[in-house]
Amino acid sequence: MTTAPPIAKSPDATGGPSRGTRGRRMSNGMFAFLLTVPGLALFGAIVLYPLIASLVTGFFEQDLRFPGRSWVGFDNYADVFAGDFAAILEHTLVFTVGATAAPFLIGLALALALNTGMKGSGFFRGLFLFPWVIPGVVVSFLWMWIFNANYGVLNGALIKTGLIEESISWLGEPGTAMLAVIITKTWASFPWMMVMLLAGLQTVPRELHEAAAVDGAGAVRRFFAVTWPGIRGVAAIALLLEFIWNFQHFDTIYVLTGGGPAGATETFAVAVYQDAFKGFDLGHATALGGLWMLLLLVLVGVYLKLSERETK
Amino acid sequence: MSASRTTGARLSGAAGMNRRDALRLFGLGALGVAAAACAPSGGSTSNGGDTKAKNFGFSSWSLNEEASKPEVQKIISAWESSHKSKITTTAFPYNEYLQQLTLKLNGGEIQGAVHLDIAWLAAIAQMGKLKDLGKVAGKGGYTDVSLKSGQYDGVQYGLPWTTGSIGLIGNQKLLTEAGIKQHPTTIAEFEDALRALKELKGVTPYAAATKVAQLKDIFPWMQTFGCTILDGDKVTIGDDASVDAVEWYKKLHDEKLIAKDVDRFDARALFGQGTVGFYDDAVIGKGATLATAKEKGLAEQMVPVPRPVLKSGDQPRALLWGGVIAVVEGEGSDAATDFALHTTSDQATTVEYFSKLALPPTTTKGLADPKVAADTFTTDWTEKITKTATPGPFWAYAKNAQIEEAVAKQVQAVLVGQASGKDAMKKAGEEVSALIKG
Repeated sequence: MTTAPPIAKSPDATGGPSRGTRGRRMSNGMFAFLLTVPGLALFGAIVLYPLIASLVTGFFEQDLRFPGRSWVGFDNYADVFAGDFAAILEHTLVFTVGATAAPFLIGLALALALNTGMKGSGFFRGLFLFPWVIPGVVVSFLWMWIFNANYGVLNGALIKTGLIEESISWLGEPGTAMLAVIITKTWASFPWMMVMLLAGLQTVPRELHEAAAVDGAGAVRRFFAVTWPGIRGVAAIALLLEFIWNFQHFDTIYVLTGGGPAGATETFAVAVYQDAFKGFDLGHATALGGLWMLLLLVLVGVYLKLSERETK
Repeated sequence: MSASRTTGARLSGAAGMNRRDALRLFGLGALGVAAAACAPSGGSTSNGGDTKAKNFGFSSWSLNEEASKPEVQKIISAWESSHKSKITTTAFPYNEYLQQLTLKLNGGEIQGAVHLDIAWLAAIAQMGKLKDLGKVAGKGGYTDVSLKSGQYDGVQYGLPWTTGSIGLIGNQKLLTEAGIKQHPTTIAEFEDALRALKELKGVTPYAAATKVAQLKDIFPWMQTFGCTILDGDKVTIGDDASVDAVEWYKKLHDEKLIAKDVDRFDARALFGQGTVGFYDDAVIGKGATLATAKEKGLAEQMVPVPRPVLKSGDQPRALLWGGVIAVVEGEGSDAATDFALHTTSDQATTVEYFSKLALPPTTTKGLADPKVAADTFTTDWTEKITKTATPGPFWAYAKNAQIEEAVAKQVQAVLVGQASGKDAMKKAGEEVSALIKG
């Protein structure tokens, strides 16, 4: 039989546990909770406080430049819905789907190629990672020059090769601006997809491929019957994460088009920024931000469910 | 007794904290967070600091531009060495300047002297952080027009550094090559001139602003077509004249007489390559364009052109433009005031600044200096463009920048074919009316 060491007893002056503390000894749960207090305090200060403050601000009319604000109830939310909410949601979804699907397909193709163990695959893996390590703003400026309507490289090359006769305003026309933004974001994020999928591919046993090949399966059949089931989990997580990141992406769009032309590339991130820091309308910006956050929470919920299923 | 319970009790004893205390602590923390969340936020109006401090800050977009940065830096260095003080500089690109300045000023991060476009003075002055410079303004010897550009609501918030206007600049060499013998004076002549310029290979006839950042250039064109823009407190954007102006702009766009996706900086770059017939710029444009120009002899080819009018005899329209130096109340504000006065009115400093950047002084003495008076471009500009220039219609409003952007977005919607001129101007008028009331 073991006995509790003396130190475990309450430091009561009489040497024994007092009536007041005997029933209040800390449980494991409380001990664990106390360990989380510093983290919770930080979370409260840098996440919870700004979040609650933002949500509360959505019910006020507040100008960023001046102190004071006035209660307006749901007016800001009504303004958001009466304004461009539907168009902003549509632009956000178009950008998100495009900037998720394109890097996924390119990343998958490159990962499959690199997974064959071809000569120089290590070099190419490093080379393809290059766009990913360049800061987003730099990438955006680089592509802004490429797409420039009046002295851009792309127009120059297309005119020289005779594919077009006169310059196209890639960033100045609604029909091409979103495409240009998606191309830029794709260039920046396909390496991450490639690395994730390559990691997934390397977990698929070679023996399965060999067995399928012996059974007469061709490359396409082997991909759908062996490879894809092996990487489906990783692919789903990568797609969902990329989708969430793109849903809140800001820098590429803001640098390239600022949400224009005529609002054609205005996503939630850009609209909230414009409202808050150009229009100085904090109430409207936080109302829009609150709705944006709700949509994001749905995506995060799906991600958590998916992760849980993968873990199981 | 279980080991876990022992551990818990041990901690309880060591920390002197029980479950109730822990919950109390957490409850207090949560209450604090909630209370803080519900507290009104926003800018403080107190500035504090030692007003007599020798060191101060200076914020300017000119410190972010290749042409003007070395010249402004020279003025700063000269001040630092003569006054044994330190000036901390802050620079933002012109198109981001108002926004960044507003945020940093509100957060108390900006002190000392601040360079302001005269269009922004009202918005910044209304924040209540600028010093009244009325007492020192009289020492500068500024012209009356210049002095007025630094006033808001009867108070002298800024000392004038530059006073001019935004007008058309032409490339005389290209105009001659296109067979344009006289500068166009009416809209019809202007269109003919643009069509003639289009015949020259690789030339953009008119590098007008088509990006939102500088689409405020549409205002003088609206006025040219007869729109008053603001009649008392009534916004007239949406009337027939404003629609005519925007549809005319769209016609130039569709005929490729104006370039797509252009702001002031793109226009300067294109003009500097000798491939633009006309573009809109302030008087600073000459210096800024020449600083990066590749076309040799361009300086001699740059000519100020009065904005064409709808019918002969109308008054050409132009937008006043200029910069003032204001001072933020608080730390180093006295020294910053002296610096602002010196920079904007010292004869040697302002004439040297003019000789490098073609920005005319704002003092009577400075304008009379032989170096300034002998400059044909500057005197022509003053005579042909600044003479009839008027302030921006919405400068007095705190939301001027938002108003200009609201109109610009609607004009852009017309240019890219997303809206008709009538619908877009109606919407612009409604948005501007709401912003004025807000």
